[in-house]
Amino acid sequence: MPSPTFVSGFEHRVVVGIAELAVSNNPNVILTTYSLGSCLGISVYDPVVHAGGLLHIMLPDSGIDAVKAADKPAMFVDSGVPALFRACYQLGAVKQRMIISVAGGAQIMDESGFFSIGRRNCDALAQLLQQNGLQVSAQQVGGMVNRTMYLRLATGEVRLKVSGEPRETILYAGA
Amino acid sequence: MQELDDYINKVKHLPPAPRILPELLRLLKRDDVDNSKVVTCISFDPSLTASVLQLCNSALYSPATPIGDLNQAITWLGFKQIYQLVAAVVGSRALGPAQTGYGINKGELWEHSVASAVAGQLLARKLGDDENMVFTAALLHDLGKIILSEALEGIYTKLVEETQQHQQALLDAEKRLLGVQHAEIGGRLLARWKFPENIVTAVWFHHQPKAAAPHDRLAAYIYLGNLIAHFLGHSYGHQALALRGRTDALDILGLSPESLPHHMIETVEQLALVEALFHPPV
Repeated sequence: MPSPTFVSGFEHRVVVGIAELAVSNNPNVILTTYSLGSCLGISVYDPVVHAGGLLHIMLPDSGIDAVKAADKPAMFVDSGVPALFRACYQLGAVKQRMIISVAGGAQIMDESGFFSIGRRNCDALAQLLQQNGLQVSAQQVGGMVNRTMYLRLATGEVRLKVSGEPRETILYAGA
Repeated sequence: MQELDDYINKVKHLPPAPRILPELLRLLKRDDVDNSKVVTCISFDPSLTASVLQLCNSALYSPATPIGDLNQAITWLGFKQIYQLVAAVVGSRALGPAQTGYGINKGELWEHSVASAVAGQLLARKLGDDENMVFTAALLHDLGKIILSEALEGIYTKLVEETQQHQQALLDAEKRLLGVQHAEIGGRLLARWKFPENIVTAVWFHHQPKAAAPHDRLAAYIYLGNLIAHFLGHSYGHQALALRGRTDALDILGLSPESLPHHMIETVEQLALVEALFHPPV
């Protein structure tokens, strides 16, 4: 689902909500997803066609709710990531050129592992990418911080904003 | 106790007391709720009345014809719904402002509170407990942070350091730096505001639900509501997730860890429906 094309030359943020994804090849768009918590923000970008997308997944495995996965594939790693790639292919992106960045997956202080949703999200993503012969170019995951993620379509630059910190940081510099 | 009172007494800006909530909760407990008493109680605060009516007519319910007064609102929506709207309006008055001592921007603590309250409420509904009680307790669970924020303003970076470098829970870091922590301050404040004992105790021990017995179920709801809110990103400040995992919260309610993802999904869906509560008119 490509974001709408705007005629204005101004950069604008297109917000990707929880369990949603958006792709675009509009150089004025900055795809933004707020407050990841234990969720994962996954961005992909093809620097040749300047197209990319951003995904905000909540949980690792769509097996827990097949109906939900059909309705909202972007909720789960195993259904969301393929949906993100497919949507980018429609904009001319090519799998081998895709630059993948990942953020989020925060954790609480938990030895039991009962509450380790963040880590399970990261593990599921790592496994899925490995099975498909893909590598992550830049990532900042885990820890106890809440992150917001931005993908600038003009350059492929990925920025992060950590809650409680004054400034954004660059996760992937882009072109 | 004296230490907590001393602490609360020296704070310059106390939040506005949501005194109407314990009163309404008492009315709500009765089987034969007297509508006129409820209306009198809410009407005492005209700006609250206006805000509640505004919410009644918002996208939250989209009534076919506008709801003009509280009597009509209670007849149409029921007392429980109206109670939640009142709680949202008075709660956001206290929890809405920025709390720089924790690196919390305007509205962030409120958003977290609503998300915790909704997550807790859904769990209580499923397990057959009093969902209004859970909603209220979870909504107010971080009240103590408003009190501590003032003291933390000058030493915020120290608080971040304690949690980040020494891997301490935020609660323990507060205790080390200030001698008190937000859960006990919040509990004490609610006691002074005449909230029922179960809410006071549950808020007091919302990071150690087992210690809240005999109100451990209520504390467990707050604990899990709080956790789900943080997981879903309705979170705030630096080291937002620096809290300890308490598996007893699951044990107390007889929940399995595998049920957590399902509760997260239900919470996300419910929050989309009650989005208006994130920005109540005040």
